[in-house]
This record gives sequence, structure tokens and C-alpha cells, in this order.
Amino acid sequence: MPREAEPSLSERQFVLQALQENLRLDGRELDQYRPLELSFGDQYGVADVTFGRTRVLAKASAEVTVPYADRPLDGIFNIATELSPMASPAFEVNRPTETEILLSRLLEKTVRRSGALDTESLCLVAGQKCWSVRVDVHVLSHDGNLIDAACLAVVAALRHFRKPDTSIEGGVLTVYTAAEREAVPLSWLHSPFCVTWSFFGDEGETAVLDATRLEEQVRVASCTVSLNKHGEICQIAKLGGVPVDAVALLQCTAVALTKVKEFSELVDKKLAEDVKKRDKGGFMAELSAENER
Amino acid sequence: MTAATTTPEAAVGVLPRADGSAKYSHAGYTVTASVNGPIEAQRRDEHAYEAHVDVTVRPAAGVGATRERHLESILQSSLSQIILVKNFPRSVIQIVLQIEDSPENDYVNTKLVQASLNFAIMPALIQTAVLALLSAAVPMRATATATAVATVRQGGATKTIVDPSPREVETAQSVHVFAFTSHDELLLAESEGDFTVKEWDDSYETAKAICCRPEPTKEGIAMVLDDETTAGPDMRHFLRLAMETKVASDLYWK
Repeated sequence: MPREAEPSLSERQFVLQALQENLRLDGRELDQYRPLELSFGDQYGVADVTFGRTRVLAKASAEVTVPYADRPLDGIFNIATELSPMASPAFEVNRPTETEILLSRLLEKTVRRSGALDTESLCLVAGQKCWSVRVDVHVLSHDGNLIDAACLAVVAALRHFRKPDTSIEGGVLTVYTAAEREAVPLSWLHSPFCVTWSFFGDEGETAVLDATRLEEQVRVASCTVSLNKHGEICQIAKLGGVPVDAVALLQCTAVALTKVKEFSELVDKKLAEDVKKRDKGGFMAELSAENER
Repeated sequence: MTAATTTPEAAVGVLPRADGSAKYSHAGYTVTASVNGPIEAQRRDEHAYEAHVDVTVRPAAGVGATRERHLESILQSSLSQIILVKNFPRSVIQIVLQIEDSPENDYVNTKLVQASLNFAIMPALIQTAVLALLSAAVPMRATATATAVATVRQGGATKTIVDPSPREVETAQSVHVFAFTSHDELLLAESEGDFTVKEWDDSYETAKAICCRPEPTKEGIAMVLDDETTAGPDMRHFLRLAMETKVASDLYWK
């Protein structure tokens, strides 16, 4: 497949000089995100996130499997990120690029290792049966800042997702189909989001949020901060690039917190809207198998 | 939800970075396609005299396996027939079909780690691919329209269902997928299940009525045709309308 075209020298100069004067090509502030859109599909667990021209679709799904032998009390939770040639012809099927590996590792650290999903609640029969929850991330259009968009999509999809209801009677596990019982949501503990900073200039003195593809190609360093709305940091990843001043990084995390609060609000608002849209009211509400915790 | 009553919907040029793209939803299936091409071919895909049509089908959940590879090979051979591949030697026309939504059978819990695509999704894949190819302005001999027909035996009589739901596919005796070019030629005929020649002929006629309905030119003829073939959507008209809408909005100059 063809290689991704690098920006030309004059293009590069233009972007960098503009950033030095605190200007961006699309007229945004340095710490401003592109117009952000989040929508849910007709099915449970499908979230579509758009950051300007970047578009990511996440789909959550679940099935009953056997737990890992070394973790008999835990369910299985996986995030699959495979970049298809749809995002860019430079991506090849079955040949992961560096972007893809970094993306999947960051999502893993942010969502899985921070314990956002309570995997113990996925266990059905210790050592024998558990839920395997899987999120597939599909990048439909890649115009920079994949990490933030993908993380938002994954969190939104998981919070929107409903798994089939189950019951155990006399050691017999029954998984109810959607026609028999209303599906139940996952036990979700907190919602972490990623905020990626890109640094420009010789010493990384200009910090920029939500870089586009062109900006990503000319940046000198980047740093991804994952945290939830309570300000609890899940991870900070700064992989290579020029060194950045520690005080500047602290400043970045402070700004990231305000952004994460905005994301949180957006997801909450959209989920509430979706519930309202699906609410059939009356008899169907009474039939719901979901109990208050 | 009865799948047959829904009308197809399409949006052309939905992805900003691809050469051409389309989103199509019908009968509960939603597919997004991107087309890049003609682009440089890798050594192993290179044909000296024609373009290689590279089709990738990606399920919404789970990893693609043999079923997807099978669908890909069917789509690849059908689409190579209508694309003017001889015009672009040593290059690749890359088609990626991403399934976003497929109707679920409420009565069965699905296995997901191994994605299982069913047969009835093929018309949606073909239709999306054709729309995306048109959007990418890839030269084609003809456009194509496709539909799925299921045959159900009830008592002694057989009934044909257009655009069957997963539940209907499961209970049907046989399922057929037909694709026709815009010159009314049969492009693809895939069948699954148990059927007689008579049943196949009936399915073929039903599918042809949907895919190859002639343009209503004279009012009198159109009236007669409307009475005869009200079952199922008019795919050719739909394809035309989708492209006309896109061209009209592209050419609209503020």
C-alpha cells in the first residue's frame, strides 16, 4: 500500500510559524477541541464519535465463555483496535502499524487497567462461566487525535451497552434472550477520558490540544493524560519526543481536567437523551429486569 | 419490526479522506464503504494488464474469519465484472466495507467472538460498494442493484419474502441473493438451502422486478406496472435518486 504523504517543507513551515504566533489553521484556540459529536446507534452499545473530520465508531458486545484459569473470579474484557484501509490507504489489513499499537495500548491502560469496568461482576459461575465483554473500535476517518476520539467512543459505548440478563437456579445458568427479558447495563465504576497534548517549537513550548493530522505530522512531542472527572489520573504517557518542562506538564493536566469534565457532561447528557428516546413508558418500564443498586 | 417495509436510505461522500464513500442502510443493515483508487499496487497484488479489486469486509463486532473472506471473494469477482479494470493496469481499487449495524434475532443469543455474517447482508454490501464506487468516480461498465429473497414453505404453498429478517432467514427453506446490472443482466446469483428449479425461477422473477424495474416513461404504462410490482422497493430508482441528490447538492453553487 502507498505510504502516507508527508507534508511539504513549506506546508510544515507555515503550520509551525502560525503556531508560534498562537494561530491554528482552522482558527481554533490552542486549547480548543474541534466540534465534538456523539451519537448512539439503534442497538445497545454502538457509539459514533466525531471530532471535526475524525470519526470513530465503537461497538460493545458480550458473550458467555470460560474464564482464564489463573483468574477464575474475573470476567474477560477486551478492546480491539484494528485500523482498516478505510481510515487511510496506508493502513493494511492484518499488519498493525505503530499508530495502531500505541492506540490499543493507551486504551488498554486508560479503560481496562484503571478498573473502569468491574470485571468481577462479569463472573457468572466461578471458574466455569463468565461474560466476555469486547469493544471493537472502528476508525472510519482519520484526521488526527485518534486517541481522544477512540477513548470517548469506547467509554460511551460501554456505558450505553446492555448485556443479556442471566439467572442461576439449582446450578443451571440461563441466559435470557432480548425477547424474554430486558437486558441489563454493565457495572461501570468511573469514566476515564484521554486528553492528548501536542507540543511544538524547539523546546516544546507551545502546547496544543486536539491536533489535526497535519499538526500531528509536524509536532515535536505529544503527551496523553487520562483522568476521570474527579481528577484521578489513570495514566500519563509521553512517548519520546523532545523533553517538556515539568511545570508545563502540570499546567496541561489542570487544563485536561476541565476538558474531561466537559466530556463527562456530554456523555451523561447524550445517555440521558438516549434513555428518554428509548423509554416506552408504562408497562415496558415495569417489565424491566434491572434492579436499583 | 418488519424489515420489508423499510425503505433503503443512502448518503454518498460521508468520509472526508477517502476518494469515495457511502453509507447505506436497508432492512436493518447499515454499512459504510470507502473506496480508494486507483492506487499503487503491492507487488503481490499487481496484475500486468488490469487493476486488482481489493475488497475488505469488516464485521461490526469480532474478527473477520472465513465467512467474511468468502463474502469478499464473491464481491470481488462480481465487482471486477462491472469496474473497467483494464483501464488501470498495475493498480489497486481498494474497497472497504464496514458493517455498522445488522438486525439481531431477538430469540437467539449470538456468539460474537467469531463474527457470523449471514447471507442476507450481501445485497447491502453490494449496494454500498456500488454507491461508494460511483462516489469515487471509478469508471464502470454498468451500475448494479441487488436484493435478497427468501422462500418459505407453508403447508403446500411456497411464499417468497423480500429482504428477510434474521428470524425469517432461519426459518426459510432457501435464501437467494441476486444482483443485476443496469442493463438487466444477471450479475450474481447465490443460493443457500433447499429449493426446486421452479422456486428459483420465482425468486429470480421477484428479484428482477425489484432490481430492474423500468423507468416509468409513459403514464399509462407506469400505472399498470405499479399495480403489478408494488412488492418491495425499486432499487434502480433508489440508486439513481441517491446519486442525483448528491450531484445536485455538489453542483449547487452558493
